[in-house]
Amino acid sequence: MPGKLLLTFTVAAALLAAGPAFAHHGTAGYDMVKVVTVKGTVTQVDWNNPHVIFHIDGHIDSKDGGEIQHWSLEVSPPLLMNRFGWNKESLKPGDQVSAETHPARSGSPVGISGTASFLLKFVVNGTPLPHQP
Amino acid sequence: MGNRRISSLATVLMAAACFCCSLGALAQTSAPPKAGNSPAAQAASRIPDLSGNWTISPGGTSWDPADPSGSKPEELPLTPWGLQHLRAAKPPFGANQTFQPNDPVQKYCDPPGPFRMYSYPWQFTIVQTPRQVYLLFEYLHVWRIVQMNQAHPKDVDTTWLGDSVGHYEGDTLVIDTVGFNDKTWLDMVGHPHSEALHTIERFRRLNHDTLELEATFQDPKAYTHSFTSKRNFKLSSFPMGETMCSLSEDQEFQKSIMDRTVPSAPAK
Repeated sequence: MPGKLLLTFTVAAALLAAGPAFAHHGTAGYDMVKVVTVKGTVTQVDWNNPHVIFHIDGHIDSKDGGEIQHWSLEVSPPLLMNRFGWNKESLKPGDQVSAETHPARSGSPVGISGTASFLLKFVVNGTPLPHQP
Repeated sequence: MGNRRISSLATVLMAAACFCCSLGALAQTSAPPKAGNSPAAQAASRIPDLSGNWTISPGGTSWDPADPSGSKPEELPLTPWGLQHLRAAKPPFGANQTFQPNDPVQKYCDPPGPFRMYSYPWQFTIVQTPRQVYLLFEYLHVWRIVQMNQAHPKDVDTTWLGDSVGHYEGDTLVIDTVGFNDKTWLDMVGHPHSEALHTIERFRRLNHDTLELEATFQDPKAYTHSFTSKRNFKLSSFPMGETMCSLSEDQEFQKSIMDRTVPSAPAK
């Protein structure tokens, strides 16, 4: 059912204690306490360095049915994603996805869903992908 | 004629012996040296086995032994020059992290420098031969060469990775490096160094799965006294892979992600 919104708040004290643990840049631009779930359709996958990016047309807010936003979620670089058990076919354009992310502080539809030390939950076409709490 | 044949055979046998010695030394880079009575086997058995792919764990953001997360970067014993350069840095990590950094690695794909390499959560491996030791890093495919059992050249040019010489002390590989250029940061929070930097790395295998690095930094231009910090690396089961820094890919990432996370400047 399109437009169904899910908003999840999680206190990620453990993540904060572990440090940003990133490879290329830190997490200064993100709210690392808040977790939202983007539900929608994958439009593009950038399986590149410095970080893999998943582009998703989707919703996060159900109050008014939610307009579709063009989200970009970054995760680890390709080699490190391989070590989490992902490859460049794990998400493909056209896939239906539900993806957790820490949203950008700017309010832009950008989020960080993984670093070298964690990978939030992705469910693709009903099947969960490996994640690292 | 008979003497010539004997002489030729001796030459061939000596060459073969030298070749086998080299093979024996190289073989110990992938497996512990085998026990034996030959001089080559005995020499190989005295070289500590540091082989394996070693994982750099996330979290080693700063080389300050009292503050590895980089939450208090000014607590290292900085000179006025060092403090000025630290404050000029806009790093991507630590207490002063920003999404608008002037980090030369992030902006230009500049080489990170040997000690910042130990902060990127990828793998490295140590390849030991009798005359050189190589440290091969997955991240950016950086490799360092350590000339064993010799002194630094008299007039060392400054380079991104410096000039490294090494020797063994029992179970420890000791690497002495000078000749750094001053274009890199010591770590992820922007701690500076000058061309006067002199480092000592001591690698020791604590157990089969753990490699310890003790690094000592001496740079009288940037720091009032030397300091020492330790890191451990865990043995990995993953093969070595590739991660490159591509300016074109970085620019796309900057556009897709970084620029969109920075709040818009207020209108004047």
